[in-house]
Amino acid sequence: MCPIVLSNCLPLPLMSVLVFPLTMTLRKIEDKEQSKRLIAVSSGRSDHQERVLRMSTNIFWQESPIGKTERQKLINQKGCVVWITGLSGSGKSTLACSLSRELYTRGKLSYILDGDNLRHGLNKDLGFKAEDRVENIRRVGEVAKLFADAGLICIASLISPYRKDRDACREMMQGSSFIEVYMNMSLQLCEARDPKGLYKLARAGKIKGFTGIDDPYESPLNCEIELKEKEGECPSPVAMAEEVIAYLEDKGFLQNQ
Amino acid sequence: MEGLAIRASRPSIFCSLPGLGGGNQQRPPSDGFLKFPASSADNSTKLVVNSGSFHPISAVNVSTRASLTADIPALSGTNVKEERINGEKKKADNIVWHESSICRCDRQELLQQKGCVIWITGLSGSGKSTVACALSKALFERGKLTYTLDGDNVRHGLNRDLTFKADDRTENIRRIGEVAKLFADVGVICIASLISPYRRDRDECRSLLPEGDFVEVFMDVPLSVCESRDPKGLYKLARAGKIKGFTGIDDPYEAPLNCEVVLKHTGDDVSSSPHQMAENIISYLQNKGYLEG
Repeated sequence: MCPIVLSNCLPLPLMSVLVFPLTMTLRKIEDKEQSKRLIAVSSGRSDHQERVLRMSTNIFWQESPIGKTERQKLINQKGCVVWITGLSGSGKSTLACSLSRELYTRGKLSYILDGDNLRHGLNKDLGFKAEDRVENIRRVGEVAKLFADAGLICIASLISPYRKDRDACREMMQGSSFIEVYMNMSLQLCEARDPKGLYKLARAGKIKGFTGIDDPYESPLNCEIELKEKEGECPSPVAMAEEVIAYLEDKGFLQNQ
Repeated sequence: MEGLAIRASRPSIFCSLPGLGGGNQQRPPSDGFLKFPASSADNSTKLVVNSGSFHPISAVNVSTRASLTADIPALSGTNVKEERINGEKKKADNIVWHESSICRCDRQELLQQKGCVIWITGLSGSGKSTVACALSKALFERGKLTYTLDGDNVRHGLNRDLTFKADDRTENIRRIGEVAKLFADVGVICIASLISPYRRDRDECRSLLPEGDFVEVFMDVPLSVCESRDPKGLYKLARAGKIKGFTGIDDPYEAPLNCEVVLKHTGDDVSSSPHQMAENIISYLQNKGYLEG
């Protein structure tokens, strides 16, 4: 089989297609700049050698990259971000944990990005000043976006009290793969739980600017899922996880088509 | 062994359970599991946390399937002192618990691979992106999940607030290292492809990961070859003085001293083809067990 070759020296339409036999893969060359680059990276040849080769065979190639579609096909799911927001003690981490477990039993790959664990790694240079909080959310959003692009179901679990910051993360994901889950539990319930003892410290004035006590929580106006107490009882973590999973299933995130 | 295991971080949980050594003030290891046989987990058993300094992480049901190596999130919505169950009722009614989160080994099992970071370093034009591309494709063909972090794409997203000043370059590398670490923890084979010219910065990234999970790949290509390629036209601009501090021209590249893989340019098309270089890396990964669960 003879290769069908096209040269970037000829006046060609913007989209050029190269077919090369045997082990090389089909690669659409999007524009002339890219095609020039492809020639340059294909080998360690000198410019002269490249020119000779180009004129004699007009062959240039590049392995096509593995993209989101391929990754999704490989692991049979669509990447997305499940952004769990709510007051401290509303059960975000519990839900995240339960959700990741339920997804795992269905053979789906997920990962939890937790406000706390990120602050010891990527965000360890950030404090709790207003601008640092904004930057904290921004970075989590950007990482979640990368994870979604990799095909993962990324579960971000953080108070994220300001609507503007959550909306900015939603913008980053280009809409469809950002699923906002609002843990709508009363302050009373959260404070009664006080799993980390922070409400007590905040009430005693030992922590300033604590969400729900002396800093506002702006509830979502248009979230995809709202989880709340039913007749004064909080649903079980598994029940809440099932509700999120039903949504993901319905929207096609748990398959690759 | 069926029963209960309680994992705690420092300070350790201290359980005053008669008959189980709880009365002798012996402190358990600072980070580990205390296991109780199932027979002890009856209605009369009380797990008492009697100091504000205790921070139980979680109580999990131990079964032959359960993984005890998880990073288990803090108990949420629970209060061991109140002996109240929040969630499903289990055998031991007065122990508050939730299922452990999925851990790294669970994900490895699911993906049939071990997460790691392939850190490809070298001059501009040395072929880092080309090898990254070939590597991700070759691994995909073997059914392995990879993700490429490229200096360029990250600078448009996560690192868009950073400039090319020295501090920002260090911060650029640091953040990429931290993100790569997260990917490796997921179980993804994360390919980071960036010049990363300073040894200290690369070594910092290495230190973030467990031993062996940071695979440094050096694109050993002479400056003359890189410059002759000049895929982005940057050497030309640097020589003309239009870019300052360009690696290889007026900023140093510090070659690795102890990297895992060296891809040396030989001028021979076969041995230095991207495909062959990718296969070299894959052989390394295979030998070290990263391509199995």
